[in-house]
Amino acid sequence: MSRRRAPGGLFRWVVLTPFVALLAFIAPVFLLQLYVSLHSWTVYLTTWWDAEFVGFDMFREVLTDPRFGWAILRSLVFAGLSTAGCFVVGFGLALLMAPSFRGHGVFYTLFLLPMLTVPIVIAYTFEMLLYQKGPVNGILSALLGTDVTVMWLADPRIAVLTTVLLEVWNWTPFVFIILLAGLAGLPRELEEAAASLGASRWRIFLEVKLPLLRPVIVLALVLRFLEALGEFPKTWALFQGGPGTATETIPVYLYLTTWHYFHVSKGAAMSYVVMVLVVGLVLLALRVLRRETRALDRMDGGPGGAR
Amino acid sequence: MRRAARRRLAALGRLLLLGSWGLAVAFPMYWLVATSFKPDHEWFAWPPVYWTRTPTLENYRTVWLGEARVYRTQEALSMQKPWLALRHSLTIALLATGLSVALGTLLAYGASRYGLLSERRLFNLLMLRMVPPIVVAAPLTLYYSALHLLDSVTGLVIVYVITTLPYSVWMTKSFVDEIPREVEQAAAILGAGRWRTLWEVTLPLIRSGVVATFMFVLILTWSEYLIALILTKTEVVTLPVQLAKYEGSAEGRVYGRQAALAVGVTIPLIVVGCLIRRHLVRGFSFGMVRR
Repeated sequence: MSRRRAPGGLFRWVVLTPFVALLAFIAPVFLLQLYVSLHSWTVYLTTWWDAEFVGFDMFREVLTDPRFGWAILRSLVFAGLSTAGCFVVGFGLALLMAPSFRGHGVFYTLFLLPMLTVPIVIAYTFEMLLYQKGPVNGILSALLGTDVTVMWLADPRIAVLTTVLLEVWNWTPFVFIILLAGLAGLPRELEEAAASLGASRWRIFLEVKLPLLRPVIVLALVLRFLEALGEFPKTWALFQGGPGTATETIPVYLYLTTWHYFHVSKGAAMSYVVMVLVVGLVLLALRVLRRETRALDRMDGGPGGAR
Repeated sequence: MRRAARRRLAALGRLLLLGSWGLAVAFPMYWLVATSFKPDHEWFAWPPVYWTRTPTLENYRTVWLGEARVYRTQEALSMQKPWLALRHSLTIALLATGLSVALGTLLAYGASRYGLLSERRLFNLLMLRMVPPIVVAAPLTLYYSALHLLDSVTGLVIVYVITTLPYSVWMTKSFVDEIPREVEQAAAILGAGRWRTLWEVTLPLIRSGVVATFMFVLILTWSEYLIALILTKTEVVTLPVQLAKYEGSAEGRVYGRQAALAVGVTIPLIVVGCLIRRHLVRGFSFGMVRR
């Protein structure tokens, strides 16, 4: 089973050259970013190579910008809430769908749909649904018997909730399919052994299934959280950061700074800070995931290569 | 008896819960499709029109054939380019996906069989993909404008190949890993070279996996918005960007038109997604969860 000797010569080059070429192609972007973030450049004043060198001033400006701090906080809250929402709904659905029954396939396909819809389309669809005199308020009014006029899109306190709602609607399928696959992959013998020892179903779930499922759960949560941090299209298309700054997450604020205020240098410095932040989170996630995937590999016939 | 009754109750409860989420999923989808068939006075009607009695194809005609009226403002003029957007979207998505999957398959094969890149390094690259692309968007624009790649199909294709490569590598790798090495070793013993082994033994075995990867990456590139928004201006336009242009035109919200375009954008994705629904898990979990 030992791996064949790493080949030299043609094969290696054919495989690696395009890859290295792509990396080399994209590398200057990072140098440019460094350059821009150390200079003060606003698009309409000078050409970028004439920009004034300002050292770390931009970073100072970014780090003392309260709006940036709020954006970070908002992003973390948004990612946390939407991940939690996706997890609760997705896990619930996966548990309900774990045994097979009639109509299983129909539900499975139906539940996938949000994930397959273009985010921009989701944003506009929910705009059609959620405006104040729209169908969602209409249905709520009919159900509750009173006039419901929730301002889903215009009330700054509710807008964040709306973005979370959209994210949950959009990405619950992701958590659902991963956890359903995880549940299907659990070895039945342990479950049966526990049952024959007289453990209740609740106890089997808590003490056998849940620990076995942990790597898959962690994987789903980590990937979802990281993806949610970068969410842009839905929030942008629906809110552009508004009302006020209620939905101004990191990507939205970055976009505004660079493409609306044309403060490219500040945007670049901000990007660096965000990059450091996210890379830190990713490294943390890597450690957690490595430990968990090793556990995943140990599972009988478990998925995943050695890592 | 009691047991049977309880089981039936449980089944009913499950159906109820699943059904309610199914409704939550289906209703927005239904509303989008329904709106696309509504005449314009029903878009904002109160109480909302849940089931239109006067369905019309007007929206589709206007959006896709652009014959209804000549728009005056610059913004509204850009509305008239759905076919251009469709063509660009198709070209970009197919090219980028094809390249990404081809390159990804090679890399995955090299990594899986020859350890060309260590798993650890590959995994790190994958996780770096999790850094939101917007953090390099600004310098990327500068770089592209210097290279004259801004607002071009080539430029977008290159970026999409880079951003989707981790998905391609990991997904195809999970398929390659499932092929027993012995098969390839047998081919090697019979005198097949590396390329011949790859081409005539391994690739046919993972063909369905490569197709699934292709479709999966196609979904990603087809629906990408942010990068397309930033790297295009007037020459090139993709469907998600085109769709966003319906925002804030001279005549205000045009829900019916938006819906008609959105339906066209969404249907191909849903078809492709349903074709590979059993493989979606693998794609989204980077091959870490497989069933």
